[in-house]
Amino acid sequence: MTKTKRANALMYVVLTIVSLISVFPLYWMLISSTNKSVDVSRGTMLPGTAFFDNWKVLFENSPVPSAMWNSFKYALILTFCALLICSLAGYGFEIYHDKGKDTVMSILLLAMMVPFVATLIPLFRMFSAAKLLDTTVAFILPTISTPFLIMMFRQSARSFPHDIIEAARIDGLNEIQIFFRMFFPTMRSTYAAAMTITFMNAWNNYLWPKVIMTSDESITMPMLVANLTEGYVTDYGVLMLAVLLCSLPTVIIFFLLQKSFAEGITGAVK
Amino acid sequence: MSQTKGAKKRKLSLEKKHNLTGWIFLTPATIMIAVMSFWPMIQAFILSFQTGKANKLKFGGFTNYIRMFQDKDFMQSLSNTFFYLIIQVPVMLILALILASMLNNKNLRFKGLFRTAIFLPCATSLVSYAIIFRSLFGVDGFINSVLIKLGILNTGYNFLGNATSAKIVIIIALIWRWTGYNMVFYLSGLQNIEYSVYEAAKIDGASPMQTFFKITVPLLKPTILLTTIMSTNGTLQLFDESVNLTKGGPSNATITMSHYIYDQSFKYVPKFGYAAAMSFLIFILVAILAFIQMKVGDKRD
Amino acid sequence: MKRKILSALLCVAMTATMLAGCGDKADDSKNSDSDTQQEADNNAGDDKQEAADDAGDSEGGGNKLTVWCWDPAFNINAMEKAGEVYQKEHPDFTVDVVETPWDDIQKKLTTAATSGALDTLPDIILMQDNAFQKNVISYPEAFVDLTDSGIDFSQFGEAKTAYSVIDGKNYGVPFDNGAVIAAYRTDVLEEAGFKIDDFTDITWDEYLEKGKTVLEKTGKPLLSCQAGESDVIMMMLQSCGSSLFDDDGNPAMVDNAALKKVMETYNALKEAGVLVEVNDWDQYISTMTTETVAGTINGCWIMASIKTANDQSGKWAITNMPKLVDVENATNFSNNGGSSWAITSNCQNVDLAKDFLASTFAGSVELYENIIESGAIATYLPAGDSDVYGKADEFFGGDAVSAKIVEYAGKCPSNNTGVYYYEARNAVAIAMQNVVQGANVDDELKAAQETVEFNME
Repeated sequence: MTKTKRANALMYVVLTIVSLISVFPLYWMLISSTNKSVDVSRGTMLPGTAFFDNWKVLFENSPVPSAMWNSFKYALILTFCALLICSLAGYGFEIYHDKGKDTVMSILLLAMMVPFVATLIPLFRMFSAAKLLDTTVAFILPTISTPFLIMMFRQSARSFPHDIIEAARIDGLNEIQIFFRMFFPTMRSTYAAAMTITFMNAWNNYLWPKVIMTSDESITMPMLVANLTEGYVTDYGVLMLAVLLCSLPTVIIFFLLQKSFAEGITGAVK
Repeated sequence: MSQTKGAKKRKLSLEKKHNLTGWIFLTPATIMIAVMSFWPMIQAFILSFQTGKANKLKFGGFTNYIRMFQDKDFMQSLSNTFFYLIIQVPVMLILALILASMLNNKNLRFKGLFRTAIFLPCATSLVSYAIIFRSLFGVDGFINSVLIKLGILNTGYNFLGNATSAKIVIIIALIWRWTGYNMVFYLSGLQNIEYSVYEAAKIDGASPMQTFFKITVPLLKPTILLTTIMSTNGTLQLFDESVNLTKGGPSNATITMSHYIYDQSFKYVPKFGYAAAMSFLIFILVAILAFIQMKVGDKRD
Repeated sequence: MKRKILSALLCVAMTATMLAGCGDKADDSKNSDSDTQQEADNNAGDDKQEAADDAGDSEGGGNKLTVWCWDPAFNINAMEKAGEVYQKEHPDFTVDVVETPWDDIQKKLTTAATSGALDTLPDIILMQDNAFQKNVISYPEAFVDLTDSGIDFSQFGEAKTAYSVIDGKNYGVPFDNGAVIAAYRTDVLEEAGFKIDDFTDITWDEYLEKGKTVLEKTGKPLLSCQAGESDVIMMMLQSCGSSLFDDDGNPAMVDNAALKKVMETYNALKEAGVLVEVNDWDQYISTMTTETVAGTINGCWIMASIKTANDQSGKWAITNMPKLVDVENATNFSNNGGSSWAITSNCQNVDLAKDFLASTFAGSVELYENIIESGAIATYLPAGDSDVYGKADEFFGGDAVSAKIVEYAGKCPSNNTGVYYYEARNAVAIAMQNVVQGANVDDELKAAQETVEFNME
């Protein structure tokens, strides 16, 4: 018993240390956002009193609410569409797998292996010719279907019991119904993980929106943060407040979803 | 496909019908990838055979592909990138796996907090994390003060000013940032393993080590494969850390391939043909590595 | 069932969008694949037509100009003030400024020009002087020649105008000043027994000697800079009118006596500890705010950052930079940074844009008086005579700093940036890093030249 207790204590120590190291930058951001720029660059580690001044400066000079709204809009629509399309495909690849589909999957995987810099120009040409620049559609389409998400669903569909499918077929459900009524609820943990990751990637997506967004009305939070670092003088307090606001949504989404993907579901499979 | 199907539909055996359903399921995703990735890739591939600057391009055969092997800076970036790959990917994945199995413990308290904390780094904006890492490893930064206080160093060491230590700082930064990200996949993968398996092992007297290697690792194999391919791909295309942490320096000691390609496209006089050719080298390298990983890891038992 | 319908709808919508995209794409690629300028122009022309038909908000009416620039406190403010000045004569004129970081402007410009989609550009962009030659020579079709636009370019500092002159033609209207200043902490100098005059009109040798004394007595280096950046090297080089390229645009680093002297000087400063290197911009700024250095040398825009530490008010003074020893044409003046306005070929109303720039940034002392509050010091020489420029600045010990800087800018020698300026700067920075580590200057310059030549092939 003492042995397991010691092992347990060790586990808490390890997790606490790792957590502290991980949280440090967020703490630093938080502290910095309450300080004046000079104090931030002087390396203060104590809370200051400039939070509301920084807040005022940031909201007066930068379109924070609209950038937040844009980022949410793009990220949520993209996450919804991507999850739908990719989970259908991942399920299709695994449940109905045969040589042909395995080959297609391998070919699709190739799509993620070319650096984005190389495909940027052809993609831009495509969207500019279609007059879609500066639109939500242009933000979403290039990453709506990713080999990574498809593969993630394919890998997790591998543990989806085939007996359930057979049973459902006998009950008279068609294939689409099986997907939505059986696979979807059973794989909630995979969906939750995929949602977190996709939302985060969409939220932080940077290079592409920078090239296609051409008006002040359509900028995203990461673009807003970048704008703050471009001037001859950087106000570090204001910058860190913006960075904080830019990081929070992903953290909140993670916190809300982590139970779903890490403590999973019981019922459905058993 | 769907038009011809009408009349014959009933004659198809059940298996064929399911097969067809499978194809329909994956059509939207496949079309999107074809249009949004493969079509631009083909264009980039054609471009990679063109030489010249800005818009003054002409067909140059394999010139670009030969040129890159004569390009000392690109070769340096290639070796830097592989250095990161070999060290960072295994360390990070093993760490993520260990943390995930710790956090999968049913009796652990404050799980939600630990998980969120460990995930935080990859949700933290790049801007702040680059500033913090540079200041932590600065000559009079936190790390140096600690080492001096411990008596390990006499004066501050310029971590980012030395080729080897700068590379190591990049690796530390990568591990710090992406371990939590990979942990997410393992945590969600672990949910598909029934807890009773662990309980049975415990009753049989298996040590935590044995459980980890005999149960967790084999059952997580599909997920491990996924994260290995993703991390390999991500590291070979590494860009952010090189640009934001070290700007590729000192003397190109930390520059990555993607960073160099970016400079050739947007910072210097644009050479898109050459940039495309170098991108295809990355493509080939990732494809070979992924192929090997798939061969080793993607078997349905 | 609802979900099924939704997913079906989504797929249809996506496919339709895609097909539409592909159709256009096919036409487009034909044009851009061919080399003939004409076709590309036609293409751009058609697009323009369409854009105009669409009545995109950037082209609305004939009295609106869209501008890309990046600093709200600085050049965006200046552009908006310019709009107000112009509005007095032209009440229905408006200027629409889109905040776009310089990196993004460069990216968008390159992408648009390479894709043959110049119609995605605004009417006016602000361009870093260092990138001017590169962009105009790479994409001449994207810019409007301003030589005969009625703008009097002789009203600007010659070195400044030179950045945006390509083949004898003017493509840019100079904007902010990058004249180099040397800023010192007078209280620290005093502690070491010096006055600001002891650092005025001096040579680098004297700087080094006095710097050693300051370091010894106060523990503070005179200068900090970013490792791996070539700013200090380029400032020193330009101060004697020397460049990394010769007049034909060929790299001139090997056997460049001035450059060699610059690197030796830098190395001597570094070895003596009079100059310290830090790893990034933020740390560079913090060496000043945390008072770990006794001064700095940079483009005059650095004053804005120095001034953020208002508790140091009155403790700073500004003078000119040291000059090189044993080098021809050595001066105490140089330039670092700065930017100029360019009109893009997508501008629908070039005459309006030209007239706007001519009567504001190239013709209105009033405008420069309005924006000096934000630290934007003119390169427009008539502005220097304004009373506002003669005003004392308490932060810098009551000195008339702005007038001083306009004077410095007028004395600065030109720098031939050439098309491959970024490549060359990077190569020189690497050479310098290696020299600091103990490498031989001549060998490193040879390697740097080879790198640049390889990139030019």
